Amino acid sequence: MIRLAIPLIAVVLFFLEPVFGLFSPIEIGGEYYYLVPRFLIMFLIFVGVYYSRQRAVVYGIVFGLLYDMFHIDIIGLYAFLYPVLCLLACWIVKHIHQHVAVVTVISLLLVALLETALYSFFTLIGFVSIGFDEFLKTRLLPTMIANAVFLVMFGWVFKMLIDRRSILNKEGIS
Amino acid sequence: MPQFFTNKRLILLLVGVIVLVALIFFTLKDRENASVPEQIVKDAVGFGQSVFSKPAQYITDLIDDVDLLLNTYEENKRLKSRLAEYASVQAELSDVRLENDRLRKALGKEEDLRDYEPVQATVLARNPDQWEEKVVIDRGEVHGVKKNMAVMTAEGLIGKVILTTPFTSTVQLLATQDPTYRVSALVTGKPEAFGLIEGYDTERHELIMKRIDSTFDIKPGQKVISSGLGGIFPKGLLIGEITEVTTEDYGLTKQAYIKPAADFSMLEHVIIAKRTSMAVDGSDAGNTGEAMDEAADEAEGGSGS
Repeated sequence: MIRLAIPLIAVVLFFLEPVFGLFSPIEIGGEYYYLVPRFLIMFLIFVGVYYSRQRAVVYGIVFGLLYDMFHIDIIGLYAFLYPVLCLLACWIVKHIHQHVAVVTVISLLLVALLETALYSFFTLIGFVSIGFDEFLKTRLLPTMIANAVFLVMFGWVFKMLIDRRSILNKEGIS
Repeated sequence: MPQFFTNKRLILLLVGVIVLVALIFFTLKDRENASVPEQIVKDAVGFGQSVFSKPAQYITDLIDDVDLLLNTYEENKRLKSRLAEYASVQAELSDVRLENDRLRKALGKEEDLRDYEPVQATVLARNPDQWEEKVVIDRGEVHGVKKNMAVMTAEGLIGKVILTTPFTSTVQLLATQDPTYRVSALVTGKPEAFGLIEGYDTERHELIMKRIDSTFDIKPGQKVISSGLGGIFPKGLLIGEITEVTTEDYGLTKQAYIKPAADFSMLEHVIIAKRTSMAVDGSDAGNTGEAMDEAADEAEGGSGS
């Protein structure tokens, strides 16, 4: 059962993202705030850091491709960004520390990077015409807050599950 | 510690990047149809998504119901006062409809641009990154949905179908930034004023209607509906209400800001309008229809400028 836990959680998070996406944008005082759920990539970063970098990259490519095909219709965008973020996270953590709090902060920073990269891409191809200030105010900050809440709630659950999975792996080897 | 970028890895990474960039450019083009693997993936993911969306929608429906229940008293009072008025309007409407039918028969004109067959659909997912205003719905080719069909809610028009697979279709909402997205519309009034819905103001959260002939007198408060001249949309779907009228950049035509009648933020149940009267019913897989569509759009644009 625990063997299947990681892909299963990834699939559930993949399907939950659009469900949460339905609630956005939220209107507060005449301003619209966009909350973009980024549960999957944060989970994949945890998988990469605590379990296996290679697995994280493979899941990143697979789910990135699914995301591209189903939601975006531009294939290659998320399929590229997801694995790159996983690799980046592993590389940073290797040089700093593996504590949950540190990984949580790094995940959030990488989500911000992802949002900014997507903003630049869509501005480049002319799909979006909002200024950077507005992007910061109506999209990036609310998104970061929402994802931070999610990660603070579930980050340690991820860590626990992944740890149990890696223990199982080590027992299997020895 | 091993080096992060060994030669082999670097080459692999570069090849990967090149392939992905090529894919991005290939898929960025305005495509007529999704490729077969894409369709399979979309249908499969769509099925999985519905497993998650349906219970979520059930819960939100429940919350909405409770919300409605709390307002019942107020609403009931308000509605009762309008009921008497409604009955007389209803009687008048049925009378007018009958007369319309009779006159239509007398003229020998059977088809009407207003006629459409509604297809009920449920929203499976909204593009979670929200850069493009797209939703995926659970009706596709097998249910008779085709590209460019109008999609609406009970309140009004929300967008059109841009991509179909056998069991799902993707709807692009009116609130899109896409410059090629146009809807032929008209302002209701004594002389009807035609124009095109082109673009969305993200700060005002209002649609922009352009290319309205400057000789027409339009005022804030007037209703805007779809004109049916695009070839695929039926006529008479409510789009919204004018809030402000200004002159376009070159001063030749007018443009109006329109407050959309439908709420784009919480979409659950939508209706696809399958128009019954087709402008051209050729055997060329709808190409003539699209050509007509473009021609109509251009003609309107031309008449404005």
